[in-house]
Amino acid sequence: MDQSIAIQETLAKEENCIVAAQCEILLEDFSESRLLGLVECSKEHAIFIYSHRRMAITADDVSLEDIVPISLDFAVVEVSSAEQLVVVGADTRVRMSYKDEELELTLPFGSQSRLFLCEVNKAWSDVCRSPAQVPKFEWINKYKKAIKSQESVKQFIAPLEEFSNKVNQHQEMEKVSDKKGSLEKVKTSNSVTPKPKGNSSQENQSREERDDLVRSSSHTTSNKAQILAMPQFGLRDNLIKCELLKNEDLYTYLENFSFFLGTYNVNGQTPKESLRPWLSCTLKPPDIYCLGFQELDLSKEAFFFNDTPKELEWTKAVSDALHAEAQYALVKLVRLVGIMLIFYVKKEHAEFISDVETDYVGTGIMGRMGNKGAVAIRFRFHNSDICVVNSHLAAHVEEYERRNQDFKDICSRLQFRQLDPTQPPLTIMKHDVVLWIGDLNYRISDLDVDKVKDLITKNDFETLHSYDQLKRQIDEEAVFVGFEEGEIDFQPTYKYDTGSDKWDTSEKCRIPAWCDRILWKGKNIQQEHYQSHMAVRTSDHKPVSSLFIIGIKRVNSEAYKKTFEEIVRNIDKMENECIPSLSLSKREFHFKDVKYMQHQAEALSLFNDGQVPCQFEFIQKPNESTYSKPWLTANPSKGFIPQGGSMVIELEVFVNRSTAPDLNCGKQEIEDILVLHLERGKDYFISVTGNYLPSCFGTSIYSLCHMREPVQDMPIQTLLKLAEMSPDDDSSTAEKPLDIPKELWMMVDHLFRNAVNQEDLFQQPGLRTEFEEIRDCLDSGMPDSLPGSNHSVAEALLLFLDALPEPVIPFSFYQQCLECCSSGAQCEKIVSMLPQCHKNVFSYLAAFLRELLKNSASNGLDVSILVTIFASLLLKSPKKQDLAEKTKTQEFFQHFLN
Amino acid sequence: MAKQYDVLFRLLLLGDSGVGKTCMLRRFTEGEFDPSHISTIGVDFKMKTIEIDGLRVRVQIWDTAGQERYQTITKQYYRRAQGIIFVYDITDRASFQHIAKWAGDVDENAPDDVQTILVGNKADEECSRQVTKEQGQKLAETYGMEFFEASASTSSNISESFIRVTELVLQAQKRDVDNLLGSLDSYLDQVALQEEKSSQDNHTQRTCAC
Ligand SMILES: Nc1nc2c(ncn2[C@@H]2O[C@H](COP(=O)(O)OP(=O)(O)O)[C@@H](O)[C@H]2O)c(=O)[nH]1
Ligand SMILES: [Mg+2]
Repeated sequence: MDQSIAIQETLAKEENCIVAAQCEILLEDFSESRLLGLVECSKEHAIFIYSHRRMAITADDVSLEDIVPISLDFAVVEVSSAEQLVVVGADTRVRMSYKDEELELTLPFGSQSRLFLCEVNKAWSDVCRSPAQVPKFEWINKYKKAIKSQESVKQFIAPLEEFSNKVNQHQEMEKVSDKKGSLEKVKTSNSVTPKPKGNSSQENQSREERDDLVRSSSHTTSNKAQILAMPQFGLRDNLIKCELLKNEDLYTYLENFSFFLGTYNVNGQTPKESLRPWLSCTLKPPDIYCLGFQELDLSKEAFFFNDTPKELEWTKAVSDALHAEAQYALVKLVRLVGIMLIFYVKKEHAEFISDVETDYVGTGIMGRMGNKGAVAIRFRFHNSDICVVNSHLAAHVEEYERRNQDFKDICSRLQFRQLDPTQPPLTIMKHDVVLWIGDLNYRISDLDVDKVKDLITKNDFETLHSYDQLKRQIDEEAVFVGFEEGEIDFQPTYKYDTGSDKWDTSEKCRIPAWCDRILWKGKNIQQEHYQSHMAVRTSDHKPVSSLFIIGIKRVNSEAYKKTFEEIVRNIDKMENECIPSLSLSKREFHFKDVKYMQHQAEALSLFNDGQVPCQFEFIQKPNESTYSKPWLTANPSKGFIPQGGSMVIELEVFVNRSTAPDLNCGKQEIEDILVLHLERGKDYFISVTGNYLPSCFGTSIYSLCHMREPVQDMPIQTLLKLAEMSPDDDSSTAEKPLDIPKELWMMVDHLFRNAVNQEDLFQQPGLRTEFEEIRDCLDSGMPDSLPGSNHSVAEALLLFLDALPEPVIPFSFYQQCLECCSSGAQCEKIVSMLPQCHKNVFSYLAAFLRELLKNSASNGLDVSILVTIFASLLLKSPKKQDLAEKTKTQEFFQHFLN
Repeated sequence: MAKQYDVLFRLLLLGDSGVGKTCMLRRFTEGEFDPSHISTIGVDFKMKTIEIDGLRVRVQIWDTAGQERYQTITKQYYRRAQGIIFVYDITDRASFQHIAKWAGDVDENAPDDVQTILVGNKADEECSRQVTKEQGQKLAETYGMEFFEASASTSSNISESFIRVTELVLQAQKRDVDNLLGSLDSYLDQVALQEEKSSQDNHTQRTCAC
């Protein structure tokens, strides 16, 4: 059932639904059926997603849910491909992505799904091939409104993105259980056990089904590459079949067999005499008999009920008359009213006959009825496909064009079912050998009766033949194109007085004609004889026979095996060449002297050196929640590179206040491995290393108080040891710590000496380069006095406070501070309980700020400005701060500025 | 023509960097040997179709980076393997000693029913041999694995090794399927038996009611 028709009805005139397919969309723990339509409009393609009731027949059955434009932002890939025992006939699972949306779909096994995916892939590769022509998709806009009004859609799309990401992760982990799952599937499809809901449709389809698209399609190399880019789309078998067909010469050899073809219009008579003169006229018994009859029964019963006792009578007459020196088996009989075809084979060849199918076409009254038309049998003999057609075409002299038309109708309408139901049916012309017999009813025209009879008496068949309608029509290529007929060396077979060899003596006095003919099409066919049989007198026609020697392809199994293996090898090779692949400009990156808040970047260029477009993504390593350490980013971290294209990825290192503490003390190092994963392909490991220069930014007050030297002069072991000690146990260190960190002192002292009258202090930003100089000076102790403007130093001070791993008011005191913020005395009490170095820092800063306020006339600062700026730096919540809390922290700090 | 592709298996090559894993893979899939060593950084795979007992089997063979520092990452690929080929270099004693470590990792990370074999590569380099065939044999026995000495360079025993491990995987999978089918069959038999019984019961009841 072609559901694209229903979709087409919903579309605008200029839009075209190329192909439709039913699918299951995977949701959290269930799946729902959707209809997908690939819609084209002015060379742009989009996938329309419909919910649908029953099988969609009309526009009312479908309702549009979403549209996925096929642009450069689009991608479709096979998922879960090689994860498990892949059984032929399995459903196809694909992931479609567009921008940030992803959908995971299951398409049922079968040619429709494959066709759909092929078409989508084709459209997609077209887009990828010419990235300059950006599609606009203006025609889609009109649908957008309709989609929006349907809230339900977004509901299912939205959680899906999240879900499909999860699926990705899970897929890997659930590998083992997955495998079991697939084994279970094998069983359920073999037996009639109830199946769990969800993995539907798979079992409905026989696993024996194989795929197709084959003979009809010509596979060019680029075509192949595309097909192979989707390994599970099941086209591999077809490629092999196709190649086998193409290379048939390599593993087959010809062997001659004799085919006896006979045609006889019996004019409704019952057999009255032996048919031996007709059927046993050859010296040696033929290997195969194909015998056609016309007008077997002219009764109404035969016409209306297609039922006649004559079938048996004539079959018996034939069986009795077959060559006596061999035994024959009746392989097949097919009859349409009076048109009958019987096929016998010599017993010893029977085992080499296979794939026998029949069909018939009526071309009689109303162009359909069986009083005229054709029956046909096709079969495979060894490795050759043979089709025999017996036709009875339209009568009357002047109707030759009607006969031509009958021939064409038969050729197009007659179709043989294939063993594999997914394969398109076979037509007559698709066979290696076509043998066409029958009462074709072509007459002799432009010559009067006497002249005709005169030529016959003179045995001048050559001249007579030039008036034959069939010959003329063939010469004009109006019918039987590609067919051959042997020289006619016998007198016309129509029309005789029944029971005699005398020409028709009735009133009508028909002009004699070669109505009964035998033609062939194909290679290696040799006609041994072509004759009529005057001795047979039952009908007003004479039977005609022809013996052919036909070269039949036999398989050399040794050579077949070799060819087959060669093909498989080549396909493997092609497939390996089609695995997505990139070349990387560099595999190892080293970032030298990484510093706090100093951005460093290196370029990684990717070049798609494979034969298919490629989707890449940096993926997480096991037990990690992100693809990289927090100080490292890859920009972009995923993308798409068309074949032959390239892309530059920036690997950026940036240490901020959240990553600095561990790096400062050596708990972490600049070291990471990125995994660059190609969809359906390999993974590349990229190693990132570097050295980090520790900084006072992001180092705790406690640690800094224990450093008399600049942080970069400290041995890393000391830094680590300090970081692991707690501010509460001061006793453990031998040396007396500094009251406050010297770095803090340097900044505050600098401001105190140079900036008490500075306008806009703490409000105007400093310069980035000056900050870096100040940082380096603090961390390395050189030079003695700080560089940079007052604003830069002021900003450095704020950054310093902001970067402290434990704020000046430690997290553990935060709640208390909020609770007593209204009472100055209580606030002071809390401060007095802080660890010594924190208390010192707090008091020192408060004293400094009070000093600034004394000069408010010149520097313009007031309490509220300073409180706003500093409260949030000194008092930080371990969680997120809300507005009420913020006000309280300000109230707290205000007590210390008055 | 019989059905061509019934199954797909995933095989994994493991061993120190430089033992010849990539060369073995290329030899097997492409019939070529390229003596230059570009160390694999990441994981790569190739496909190959082979015939076993008339059944066409597609194998996907994964080649991993052997370097120490990548091993935490490469371990996650073990889980997906149905067959593993441990490779050492017969001219490099250390690579042979490291097999124990590789086997240990596999024990921890790979599925229980994973099939393994041991291959000593570079068998063509007889003059620089550091590991005797007997030593290889013995190690393989300890782990209950089959053993081959092979050479990617001369092609000796390369397809034999890959095909053997695939046969083992196929056998193991068949056992799985058979077991499953067996238990299902007996389940079905039981169900059928019960149904029969209950219909008999009905029958008895009816006769009683008469
Ligand atoms: N003589 C010899 N050399 C080999 C053989 N196989 C690999 N090699 C060499 O060993 C080196 C490392 O091989 P490669 O396949 O890259 O090792 P991998 O790191 O395990 O993938 C290469 O330079 C090859 O030339 C072999 O069978 N015989
Ligand atoms: Mg390698």
